[in-house]
Amino acid sequence: MDETLAEFFRRTILKIPMTEMMTILKTWNFLSENQLQTVNFRQRKESIVQDLVLLCEENRARLNDAAHLDIIYTQFHRHQKIWDVFQMSKRPGDNIDLFDMEEFKSSFKKILQRALKNVTVSFRDAEENSVWIRIAWGTQYKKPNQYKPAYVVYYSQTPYAFTSSSQLKSNLPLLGQALTVASKHHQIVKMDLRSRYLDSLKAIVFKQYNQSFETHNSTTSLQERSFGLDINMDSRIIHENKVEKERVQRVTQEIFGDYPQPRLEFAQYKLETKFKSDLNRGILAEREEPLRCLVKFSSPHLLEALKSLAPAGIADAPLSPLLTCIPNKGRNYFKIRDK
Amino acid sequence: MELANTLRQDGESRGGVLAHLERLETQVSKSRKKLEEPQNTQALEARIHELKCLRDKLRAEVKQRQARVKASTANVEPDQTLEISEQEILERKQENMKAILQAYHFTGISGKLTSRGVCVCISTAFEGNLLDSYFVDLVMEKPLWIHHHSVPVFIPLEEISAKYLQTNTQHFLFVLCEYLNAYSGRKYQADRLQSDFAAFLVGPLQRNSLCNLLSFTYKVKPEGQSFPFCARLLYKDLTTTLPTDVTVTSQGTEALPRMWEEQRAAHENLFFTKPLHQVFTSFAKKGEKLDMSLVS
Repeated sequence: MDETLAEFFRRTILKIPMTEMMTILKTWNFLSENQLQTVNFRQRKESIVQDLVLLCEENRARLNDAAHLDIIYTQFHRHQKIWDVFQMSKRPGDNIDLFDMEEFKSSFKKILQRALKNVTVSFRDAEENSVWIRIAWGTQYKKPNQYKPAYVVYYSQTPYAFTSSSQLKSNLPLLGQALTVASKHHQIVKMDLRSRYLDSLKAIVFKQYNQSFETHNSTTSLQERSFGLDINMDSRIIHENKVEKERVQRVTQEIFGDYPQPRLEFAQYKLETKFKSDLNRGILAEREEPLRCLVKFSSPHLLEALKSLAPAGIADAPLSPLLTCIPNKGRNYFKIRDK
Repeated sequence: MELANTLRQDGESRGGVLAHLERLETQVSKSRKKLEEPQNTQALEARIHELKCLRDKLRAEVKQRQARVKASTANVEPDQTLEISEQEILERKQENMKAILQAYHFTGISGKLTSRGVCVCISTAFEGNLLDSYFVDLVMEKPLWIHHHSVPVFIPLEEISAKYLQTNTQHFLFVLCEYLNAYSGRKYQADRLQSDFAAFLVGPLQRNSLCNLLSFTYKVKPEGQSFPFCARLLYKDLTTTLPTDVTVTSQGTEALPRMWEEQRAAHENLFFTKPLHQVFTSFAKKGEKLDMSLVS
């Protein structure tokens, strides 16, 4: 095994936290049980990694095997990347999509390899008929950089693809083209939706985040829920604004539902509107040009935070539709202009 | 204060301040005891008398109430039993109604009225097996719109609703029902093949989200010498559970000996006419020789 490949193996295995080492190696399934048993996992990590790299050499590991391990590591640590969402569309009247995974993979690889001589493309099938694609970019004259790969997650026969934001933005159009042609679509467009939480992005675009439905089989009666008021409260305490509190709870429940919100970290609003002021005078008022400003909301869990604003008394209910439309419209980047 | 003055007048305070306080204390307690004793016994006696009277009064009241209750229950009993049975009847009717509403589930399309419209439940089935249910929550406004749903993203819901939702809602539901039932049926066949007949497969079953393209290599006999065939099934009509295109080929490029060629053609026909897992069930049953009588 040549030095660069050995180094790549070493660095990839070194990234893996010791608590996950066995799980990831077993998922990789490249080293046998017997081989793994020969390694002393009580040594210092550097020594363990060295032993494992030697075992890989024994098994004549190739670049493709290392790429697979890298994909598995990324699948376990998907939150470390920021994911963009692309939407593809077909021509109206296009034929039924008879998606063949093997055809897709070979077509995708060919398109990239035809354009760029140096590129490493690896695939790993995942749940729900999806595929994780790892692309290490090179140029006409340089070998692919294995340490800055881009990832694409594609669920077959859907119009959406999720890509990890790669630093090499110049390759994005080529990537889009490869995806579109290989999946037999016509056009591709980048959505204004971005987050670390791949599963939440999937829930938003596949519209899977609200899965509570009323049926005759359900035993919970929706009307009799107490709207967040403490039942154990002393009966001598009276809520002066009980009616208002109940209204706020009801409105919040109508807008946000009962389900756990998909997880996003921010929402960004680019305003290009004229400044509106209550006072007739002021430096900013009565200007012809629009005021340009950027408003960004950040939170470890933005939608849950927005949901709790009105019940906490911090904002009026109902909240502005600009905030509540985020999962429905599938966007967390907005440009607002005067109508 | 007076006691203190008398002491000073005496001149000598015997034993200091603390001893003096002790003497004052004993004087007070003695005088108190003398005052209390006669009063104590009198008070106690009076109290005892009071309590006795109260007890007797309460006892009499309890007896009266018991008598009254007995009298009233004796009169009321027949009415109460009537009420109970009416309530029971109503409860039973309600249970019955709930059960019927739940059973509508089995008709394939059922629904429940919501505050804003109706939540439709499409229950899919294949060959008598109840499979997944899918929901569509409709808002009854002009125009009709879908609030949320559990239809998988690869089912062309937008297309179907664009065509039929506004103009003919019933037809919209029937078409959606067709697509979902067909998808469920195809998925059922592919799942059965993967789980129950894994021994017949050489390599993995290649499938996609809609289960409308299946590609696999199989043997008629799981062990022993058996010729492997490659099958490729296409389901171009998304409303059916049987394939529209079937190709069965041999792995090599040389021409097949006649017996195998006959088998190959027969298999192709089988895949066209029978659900996938049934084809493999017949392989399992027949063993070595494929009975040509299966080709209907």
